Amino acid sequence: MAVTTRKAPAAAARHRRPLLRRGLSFEGKMLSPALLVLAAVSIFPFIYIIAMSLSSVRMIGGISFDWVGLDNWTRLFGDGAVWGSWLRSIMFFVLSVGLQMSLGIGIALAIYETRRGRNIITSLVLMPMFMAPVIVGLLGRFLTDSTYGLYAWFLDTIGLYNGDILGSRTSAFLAVTLMDVWEWTPLIALIVLAGLTSMPKQVLEAAAIDGASYWSRLRDIVLPMISGVIIVALLIRSMDAIRYFDIITNTTNGGPADATKIVPIRLYETAFRFFDLGYAAAIGLSMLAVTILMANLFMRILKQRGLAR
Amino acid sequence: MKPARGGVGSRIGLPVVLGVILLWTVVPLAWMVLSSFKPTEDLTATTPILAFAPTLEHYDALFSGGNNIGPYIRNSLIAAGISTVVAVVLGCLAGYGLARSRFRGKDHVAFWIISQRMAPIAAVILPLFVIFRFTGLLGSTWGLIVAYLTFNLPFAIWIMNAFFSELSPSLEEAAMIDGATRWSAFRDVALPLVLPGIATTAILCLVFSWNDYAFAVTFSGPDSQTLPIAASQLVTQTSIDWGQLTAIGTIVVAPMILVGLIVRKWLVTGLTLGAVTGE
Repeated sequence: MAVTTRKAPAAAARHRRPLLRRGLSFEGKMLSPALLVLAAVSIFPFIYIIAMSLSSVRMIGGISFDWVGLDNWTRLFGDGAVWGSWLRSIMFFVLSVGLQMSLGIGIALAIYETRRGRNIITSLVLMPMFMAPVIVGLLGRFLTDSTYGLYAWFLDTIGLYNGDILGSRTSAFLAVTLMDVWEWTPLIALIVLAGLTSMPKQVLEAAAIDGASYWSRLRDIVLPMISGVIIVALLIRSMDAIRYFDIITNTTNGGPADATKIVPIRLYETAFRFFDLGYAAAIGLSMLAVTILMANLFMRILKQRGLAR
Repeated sequence: MKPARGGVGSRIGLPVVLGVILLWTVVPLAWMVLSSFKPTEDLTATTPILAFAPTLEHYDALFSGGNNIGPYIRNSLIAAGISTVVAVVLGCLAGYGLARSRFRGKDHVAFWIISQRMAPIAAVILPLFVIFRFTGLLGSTWGLIVAYLTFNLPFAIWIMNAFFSELSPSLEEAAMIDGATRWSAFRDVALPLVLPGIATTAILCLVFSWNDYAFAVTFSGPDSQTLPIAASQLVTQTSIDWGQLTAIGTIVVAPMILVGLIVRKWLVTGLTLGAVTGE
């Protein structure tokens, strides 16, 4: 896959024709079934969630929307609990993505240096990211169980921690963060490794001959060369970190004392435990706004790297 | 890069680092698989037990009696399978269309497609829940299939677009000079060349929907619940049957790791939405 044949500009120009001329062009015909289905499953729900955010939605005996204008939105901006959840989301985001990035880059560098068994090591390292997050959460719960959890026993034995890991605020927050880090660090490693292997070898060899130490080669040559790939990895993980949901739902469910109640968890609780669907819609749209900002950034970087055509 | 002479990444340091990495990654998984074969009394011992008489009792329990997971497996296969097939077929067509077209506003269409993939699940669940309740899709497998299309379809279009874009159109043009139609140039020339891309897309769509919990827990009813739901239902207020839980965990995880590693070479392209290629 490393060899990519870019389309010549001339060929591109030859294909430049209006989408709609004498009916639909071939490309248009190819695109339309998928776009129609996508529109059906996305545009309609999008309009719906906007309408919901402007209403008080009642689920008793069918569904009724009562127009309340911007009530949900003004409530959202004044709701300390939701702000608290955003704060937790940001804390989770910084800690989780930060750890994943640094560990992922480290793992990629270590695998890159490995000659023997590189394939099998890579495969083993990648395994967690194929796991259903719900299983990661339940497994994490098993490992941290204060009576027979392997990791709880280990932490107790080395004298680091002997309490109920998911039962107190700081350790619970750290535990659910580490579960996400465990599952997704491999993805960062995989992406960075792809960046490393695509580096031209000559530059590095020249630097090594010049006597540059490993760390200075890393800092001055390797990291700058793969910075684009690192940014892509960062953005991919960032967009997912905002939606983090399954693991927390199946471990702490937002507790103890709201310590792990990040925005998606609060949204879900607002909607499906308190059935305040209008308000939940407003929270959901605010999350969507953040995601769209990130998607925008992602697209801009894709374009810069000449990858979005 | 050659191992640095005399640096920190020396011949002794690297194996240690790799060992720590492997321990960190593999121990939880290995412990899950190991525990699923442990007799219950060894499972709930207060110190970890490594020597035990392996048993299949937990797997037996999962396939017999009241909580037989057979129907859950079937529901998972149907929901994940159908949404994958639909997404891949439509994604191939649209990905090709997008890669080969140069119309005004293409960027906006592309952005719209990718933003659908990135939309937070929690924000998609709400309106779909109300709509499904209206239309009677709530609780049915069809509802789940539609829900999975919300992330699989934009993903498939985008990735297939990336794979087709890497293909020079000259081969198709040559075929058309020889009299092939646009359609047969697509079907007979372009499509066979992106088979790895199709496999990657299909497997990743399958993994995403097989692993889904948020949609399934909200939309599925008694007749359409999937495997992840069965797993989370093993956790009750009073107790957790860790034997069955680790067994079901192994059943959920093992096939996805296997199929995922089959397409390892192309995973980067798939998981970075085409932004990074190669290994």
